[in-house]
Amino acid sequence: MNEMSGFPLKPAPFVTTEEPAQPKADNFKLNRRSFLKASIAAGGGLMLDISLPRASLASKPGEDASFAAGKATLVIGADDSITLIVPGGEMGQGINSALAQIIAEELPLDFTRIRTVPAPYGAQYGTGLQASQVTGGSSGVRGYFDYMLDAGATARSMLVAAAIQKGGDPNTLRAVAGFTDPDSGTWTPNLVRDDAGNSWSYGELATEAASTNPTTSRMSDPDAYKVIGTRMIRPDIREKVNGSAVFGLDVQLPGMKFAAVKHAPALGAKVSTMGAAPAGTLAVNLDTAVAVVAADSWAARKALNALTVTWTSLSYAQQSLVDTATQTGSLNSLLSSTTSAVAEAKPAGTSAATVLSAINSQPRKLNLTYSFPMLAHACMEVLNCTVEPLYAPDGVTVSAINVWCPTQAPDWVVNTVTALLPALPRDKISVTTTLMGGGLGRKIEQDYVAQAVRVALFAKAPVKLMWWREEDFARDFFRPAAVSKIQVGLDANGSIQGWYNRIAAPSVMRSHGFVSPTASYSSFVDSIAVGSAVGNGDEPMPYANAMTRRVVDYVEQKTGFSLGFWRSVGQSISCFAVESAIDECARLLGRDPYDYRLSLLAGNDTMKALLEDVAQLSSWKSAAPPGTARGMALSPGFGSSAAMVAEVTRVASGSTTNYKVSRIFCSVDCGFAVNPDQVVAQIQGGILQGMSSARWGRMQFDHGVAQVKNFSDYRLGRMADTPIITVRIVNQGSPLGGIGEVGVPPVAPAIANAYAALTGTRKRNLPLGI
Amino acid sequence: MQTFVSVRPNPLDRAETGSERMTSITINVNGRNWTGDVADTSTPLLWVLRDRVGATGTKYGCGIEVCSACVILADGTLTKTCTENVANFIDKKLVTIEGLADMPPAGSSGVTGKMLQEMWVESQVPQCGYCQSGMLLAVYALLRSKPRPSDADIDQAISNICACGTYPRVRDAIKTLTGQAIAA
Ligand code: FES
Ligand code: FES
Repeated sequence: MNEMSGFPLKPAPFVTTEEPAQPKADNFKLNRRSFLKASIAAGGGLMLDISLPRASLASKPGEDASFAAGKATLVIGADDSITLIVPGGEMGQGINSALAQIIAEELPLDFTRIRTVPAPYGAQYGTGLQASQVTGGSSGVRGYFDYMLDAGATARSMLVAAAIQKGGDPNTLRAVAGFTDPDSGTWTPNLVRDDAGNSWSYGELATEAASTNPTTSRMSDPDAYKVIGTRMIRPDIREKVNGSAVFGLDVQLPGMKFAAVKHAPALGAKVSTMGAAPAGTLAVNLDTAVAVVAADSWAARKALNALTVTWTSLSYAQQSLVDTATQTGSLNSLLSSTTSAVAEAKPAGTSAATVLSAINSQPRKLNLTYSFPMLAHACMEVLNCTVEPLYAPDGVTVSAINVWCPTQAPDWVVNTVTALLPALPRDKISVTTTLMGGGLGRKIEQDYVAQAVRVALFAKAPVKLMWWREEDFARDFFRPAAVSKIQVGLDANGSIQGWYNRIAAPSVMRSHGFVSPTASYSSFVDSIAVGSAVGNGDEPMPYANAMTRRVVDYVEQKTGFSLGFWRSVGQSISCFAVESAIDECARLLGRDPYDYRLSLLAGNDTMKALLEDVAQLSSWKSAAPPGTARGMALSPGFGSSAAMVAEVTRVASGSTTNYKVSRIFCSVDCGFAVNPDQVVAQIQGGILQGMSSARWGRMQFDHGVAQVKNFSDYRLGRMADTPIITVRIVNQGSPLGGIGEVGVPPVAPAIANAYAALTGTRKRNLPLGI
Repeated sequence: MQTFVSVRPNPLDRAETGSERMTSITINVNGRNWTGDVADTSTPLLWVLRDRVGATGTKYGCGIEVCSACVILADGTLTKTCTENVANFIDKKLVTIEGLADMPPAGSSGVTGKMLQEMWVESQVPQCGYCQSGMLLAVYALLRSKPRPSDADIDQAISNICACGTYPRVRDAIKTLTGQAIAA
């Protein structure tokens, strides 16, 4: 129900101009006039525009952080249709139906008949938006919760007001949801009715309702929601089981042509010369790639392979920056760099030297280095974008651009078009967000969009541009590689007297312009790179309070790889290092990893409760099945946290021994779950993605050339690899949290910890290769 | 039932250069014949289905027969379409996801295509949904050969890649449909 991608996010601040926000989501008082606007819908009915807050994306320097993010629109048609136009992208996380579900709490609705459609970007949807209509950072549902409740309440009050004008009894009028009779199949629409026997369908009232004055407020009781918090069938599922769902790759336009793209073999190289296009096709030089336009996808690919292209070569220095072996060496050498940026010091001002000497004076010490490969997004739907250029009567001037795109950032798409066509007014650009076959953070990027626009302008025709799988892997924006060194000093009681964690990694923030380009390499800390390694971030390190002295510092690596936001971003690194190291401490001390963690969680009741819950769920204290051992890990978050236990089982096949992940248990706290079944689905998905990347995920380059070409080189778990997964939702009253990401980080350490318990061998390098 | 999103001529197929020889082919998709001119009969079936016939429910995932996003039933056999020439399918009856709803009970399982789809909705199996066309056809084919598939049967038969991780729900939905207990 939330997004699957990562952003450097802060919890969404609700933009209220006149009244201060209350800390508890349920108590928000919004100024309705400032964010709701009613009008008569085209074709009759009530159209309610709901201005939404800017998503919680961190601001780029110089960017105005105060404007609204855009609109959701609720349309109650005169024909009794209910349409919700939603701003967030649908990547399978069920955000659309979760938003509809929140509205339905206040405005009774037949949930099976709601249509949710993604907001097109265009004049109607708020020109001037910048980095705002972006789906990421698990911010979708939690950012919009209160706005949707108030929109539902307002729409209801307007319908009731219209019913009063039609002679309804003001004292007994109420709204009731429509339904389909299971036997006859007859549909009763959503109704407003009174005790005197009057009733009108929403559609009959909607046009008149548009000009009434909403007066009432919410009726729902936050302690007893009737719709929110129940299992709802997502309305978008049906089209996904009969082939009618339209993903980006399924867009078809009259006269459309098909483009295939081939990038330079070496990352960073450019087109040097390009030969003539094969007969019946067009070839386009895209600087770092070439594209061929043809009659269908296959013809485009064949022609692309037949096209003669020579590429520039990389200098030795350039090659080193895009070579996995060299870059790994450089990361390791940064571990002993004398220049670093301090991310956290406790007590304040503590130096690395001080904490290291404290560690060295303890009876037990550990010096542990964990390493992380680059990871690919590997969405099932490859990158693609369809662009239709329209021309003025002169046949040369572009008069409008229509884009259909599986994108997590439709307003960035507009920026991309504008950058290529500065003379084209923004309101002549329309962007239709299609369904996405996975977003996972890759589909915020604009590279493939810019290519599609350039190719369509060259062809002067509607073009669907697609990357074949090999390109999709080779030119991903990768989760960066990293190393994390943790030194720990334990006193005689096992207390952590000193903890020093150095993280070396390139900066995703810098690569995306979230810091000034001149930010010093010795003082800038990339909050994504340190993730939950620090105790003072959005994902606070759970054991921080139990550490007497701690220093966390960061050394930024310069790299030539393109970096991006990968599901759970920095926590995919920090969680593995911290949870493995804590486990290693427990083993060194001969303590049960669960008991030891509990002893370190004093004052962190949320994580403690989750840990206790997962221990109970997994029968931690009972013996594991034969040939099986358990490992655990915690994944902290500001809005959502999880505790996880993995079971790893030895499987003998002939003379070789293999291992399988047989079970995973997860207790998750995401505050209030709008649609609990979808929370479970997201956690299941997060766990399986976490498992695949923990065991096998690795993207490598040899002097700029991608070594992963397809799924045959980049293993994703399949049915036979899938453990039995048990998820329990534990609501401890924390603010609404995102759920797309929290399931991912604890999987790798839980598996590594279980493997260590089973075999006595500690794996500190990802992927685990088991 | 609407079988095809659209059936339309493709402008660039009209041998704009005059150098391409077009071949007229007919394939039978979901009980309907589709006839069209193709420039290249070595085009994999997948791209004829998607780009020419307009049956876009069949998906591209890898193009090298490792992900099963592109599977259909060809004369009843689960078949990957991303590499095999369209010419090889001319005499076969092809069923894509758009035709699943009309499929009779799979073997002795008693599970029709429609029942399979309803169970997928009820169990909320899909997430992004991209792999589910292939997943559903693979499950239909499995049920035809194993009306009550064991976990091992499911592991073996369902080799589709689902990056969203819907496998637990797929397994549970199969078990429920075939009256078997779900692992707790
Ligand atoms: S696209 Fe055919 S198996 Fe992957
Ligand atoms: S549902 Fe998204 S890939 Fe399977």
